[in-house]
Amino acid sequence: MAYIHESDRQYILGKYHKLDGTFDSHNRFIRNDEYFDSSTGMDGDALVANLLLQDEQIAGQPHAIRKAKAFAYVLKHTRINCDAHDRFPHINAMDRPINKALIKRWKAEVLDEIIPEVGQKRRCMEKDGVATIWPDFDHIVPDWDRVFELGFSGLLHESEQAKNLLSQTHDLSETEIAFFDSVAISYQAIFDLIRRLANQAGKVSGCMRMSAALERLIDHAPQTFYEALLLDYLLFILCEHIEGIQVRSLGNLDRLLYPLYKRDLEYGVSKEELCTDLAHFFMQFTAIGNYWNQPVYLGGCKADGTTEINPFSYVFLDVHNALGIYNPKIQIKVASNTPKDFLLKALDMIRHGNNSIVFVSDALLRRALMNAGASEEDARTCNVKGCYEYNINGGLDTGMNYVNFMKPLEYCLHEGCDGVTGKQSGLPCCRVEEYASFEQLFKEYKRQLLYMLDEVMDVVNRIEDYLEYINPQPVMSSTYITCLQHGKDCMCGGAKSNESNMACGFLADVADSLTIIYKYVFEQKRITLRELVTALDANFDGYEQLRLRLSNDRDKYGNNRELPDRIAKEIIDTSSSYVMGKPNARIRAGKWTCGYHVARMSYTQGKLTAASANGRRLGDELSKNVSASMGKNREGATAAILSATKLNADQFVGDAALDLGLLPSAVKGKDGLEAMYALLMTFINRGGQAMQINVFDADTLRKAQREPEKYQDLQIRVCGWNVLWNNIAKEEQDGFIRQAESLV
Amino acid sequence: MDALISDIKRFAVHDGDGIRTTLFLKGCTLRCVWCHNPEGISARPELAYYAERCLQCGVCAEVCPNGVHEFSDKGHALNRDLCLGCGKCEEECLGNALKLYGRKMDVDMLFPVLLEDEDFFRNSGGGVTVSGGEPLLHAEFVRELFEKLKKHSVNTAVDTCGHVPWDAFERVLPVTDLFLYDIKHIDSAMHKQLTGMGNERILENLQRLSECNKRIEIRMPFVPGCNSDDDTLHGIGAFLGKLNIERMRVLPYHDLARGKYAALNLIDTMPQVEAPTDELLAHAVEILHSHGVQAFSGRE
Repeated sequence: MAYIHESDRQYILGKYHKLDGTFDSHNRFIRNDEYFDSSTGMDGDALVANLLLQDEQIAGQPHAIRKAKAFAYVLKHTRINCDAHDRFPHINAMDRPINKALIKRWKAEVLDEIIPEVGQKRRCMEKDGVATIWPDFDHIVPDWDRVFELGFSGLLHESEQAKNLLSQTHDLSETEIAFFDSVAISYQAIFDLIRRLANQAGKVSGCMRMSAALERLIDHAPQTFYEALLLDYLLFILCEHIEGIQVRSLGNLDRLLYPLYKRDLEYGVSKEELCTDLAHFFMQFTAIGNYWNQPVYLGGCKADGTTEINPFSYVFLDVHNALGIYNPKIQIKVASNTPKDFLLKALDMIRHGNNSIVFVSDALLRRALMNAGASEEDARTCNVKGCYEYNINGGLDTGMNYVNFMKPLEYCLHEGCDGVTGKQSGLPCCRVEEYASFEQLFKEYKRQLLYMLDEVMDVVNRIEDYLEYINPQPVMSSTYITCLQHGKDCMCGGAKSNESNMACGFLADVADSLTIIYKYVFEQKRITLRELVTALDANFDGYEQLRLRLSNDRDKYGNNRELPDRIAKEIIDTSSSYVMGKPNARIRAGKWTCGYHVARMSYTQGKLTAASANGRRLGDELSKNVSASMGKNREGATAAILSATKLNADQFVGDAALDLGLLPSAVKGKDGLEAMYALLMTFINRGGQAMQINVFDADTLRKAQREPEKYQDLQIRVCGWNVLWNNIAKEEQDGFIRQAESLV
Repeated sequence: MDALISDIKRFAVHDGDGIRTTLFLKGCTLRCVWCHNPEGISARPELAYYAERCLQCGVCAEVCPNGVHEFSDKGHALNRDLCLGCGKCEEECLGNALKLYGRKMDVDMLFPVLLEDEDFFRNSGGGVTVSGGEPLLHAEFVRELFEKLKKHSVNTAVDTCGHVPWDAFERVLPVTDLFLYDIKHIDSAMHKQLTGMGNERILENLQRLSECNKRIEIRMPFVPGCNSDDDTLHGIGAFLGKLNIERMRVLPYHDLARGKYAALNLIDTMPQVEAPTDELLAHAVEILHSHGVQAFSGRE
């Protein structure tokens, strides 16, 4: 069943960007001005120019007000459209005019003028591949429960009430007044925009239903399934593309939408009609085409312990599967009582190539959050966001840094200097001849590692003092009850939790390299540390036999081997216990958390990382998340799971995802599906955090590389999101082929 | 007690119930032309050499105590007769071009390896399968191993060609949960032609086994041109239909193992035929169904 007319599908696909040109989904700024009727407003360039003019007039006002006025300007003047082929309106702000006009400028001001020394340090760290740090507006989840319960008018009403209450306790400060005013200005603009959209829809034959639903959303919380989808979509566009903050979850949508879905069915709306609404909703995100994919999550547990999976959860998967899309991407919170048939449905999608799905452990998330001090209720209702990160609902946690754990090892082996640039970036330390034991070297590694973490935390803390200055968030903040209670923007400590997450990278490469040093240098004494470092410095040129020996050595993390797994765990324990709970930015007054997450850094930081003792050459791809190094999971899926679940992922609040590769032949048939289920549940029961699966074989991937035209639908899970095989670089494809070749 | 192990495969999904670890033992009583585990036939250790992966580095020659590896202008040559199966060359081979099939391992050595995936066994109803070669050539070893596994409540399965004395079955019966039992042809003369032996003992053992109240899955390598004709299928169906069989897996022939023959320096006997089509498989399954056999395609 298709759930959507082909012509509608094509219409939506062309709505956000032109289909004939090259579309760079990684660069998320998308233009399609020609698509709109010019009588409905200005084009993108005019908007930006006028925003700059308007902002000059009010330059002395707080950023919150300037931002809200810019927001209002865009909503009033941007082009809009409604079409009978589409159940959702279109607002021309896909290229984020406020980012261009204000946020970019304010960010540069902070990094270049207010704290230039921090900006400089940040650039250096990025250039050397030590850490990638940026002011993070990318990992935010609105409080969708409040959004669905209150609607826009209810949210504004609560803001007004909160302002009154607060003013009874004290005279509101200028910042508090600016915050509440910014919310009021933004909401007025939202109501005007929705009215404008409703009028526009009213003029188009075939859009009366959309028009009426939009009308109702001005004054009401959503009363129907379709209205709820519209609201979800509108808030997404308003926050992500206009306010300029990534909405990193569309919400726990099976739970949130089910009551309205059920009621619509009871009122006689057909299931087909509701599925078509859902298909149109999904296709918006497919068409927007965010490179990292748009997350939405399902499942979890109710307060009484029963599962949140409901009949609509199944419909959700069915429609997604039938569309054959990978964007939005789906996260499933798996508990021991998540219905097996639901998980089998998801696993069946995965083995048939629709693998834009990750399984996240409900129990592990709860334990980790509670270990870090969260209440039972907050832990139960936590959001899954981004790739597989999580935080308590109503919290605003950033994740603005990727740290390269290979660098401290380079420092250890080069007297504190970077192995590529030779720069003194680490702490001064001894010559390699002076390491008398492995323990001494490992101790030095940890000292260098903690120093690097301190350096990164310092840079991040200083930048995060200016998050609100760079990008205040009236609309997003208004969804958080605590922001209203405190009269404070979510960017400067108004949210329920205000944590900063350290994303630590390349666990397997570090563990494997240290294992090699342990075995070859100190235990078996086959080579001196100096000889090894000489080979590394030569990037193994002239040492190919040595490189192969080190690369082939079977003691690699991810294969349930005692030594590398123990070293990996020790690195995690050392880093997470050090980072967890450290204070973050003064203004945010939150804490640091710690996860093992690499995103695309395995490629980008890999290019800047020296040859390593595990036989990896300079510039080669590094390992992902808590998975084995590329192509080194020789003992297969069960061993990978055993290794990953030794890491005590409940001792830190952050992700520790396992990327699993499986052969199509292993997962065929009923046996194969049951085996996938058993792998998943063993992972969950043993305390794993998140698991994602690629089902592929090297032959098919090689064929797809040779004949891309025949594999235009082939999608691959990169690292928490999917892309089309044909859209990744050859070297990235080669990495996956190597991984597939090693599958047993 | 020990046995010669040719390989251990973890996450074996189609060798019995659930997720299993399959232990391959060396030595076989049949010589099936299509054999896809030719490394299991001989009861001696064998060194496989994948020439295309060889880096010609000569490390194997340096570590071999018996002069198996020789390097000359013509490249890398192997004196296989001199190999005693120590495995040193495999360990040192930089190109992964060498693989030793056949390491002596005793039950105590194997036990922790086989139990590594115990959690997965428990969550999937899986366990350990012994295969080969013909594992019942090592019936006493299998019994000792399975007794130990049973004490840990691990599910056990034997994958057998059936061509062993009944006594071998009797030894493992009390500690085996599932038998994976091969049927290759119903006509004894044809069976002899294709496997080197007649099928009388195989059919008789199966008949006796089916009276022992043990779970049996029949496995039939389905090889076009060898045993794919309707008469053969009807014959097999009629025989099995009278027995106490749980299910039957029809395994479509493929020649992925051809490379192994060359690597082991064995004469390639694999039929030069295409893998059966889905339609042909479905047809075979239908014939078997008509005799009341719960057959299904191994592709499903």
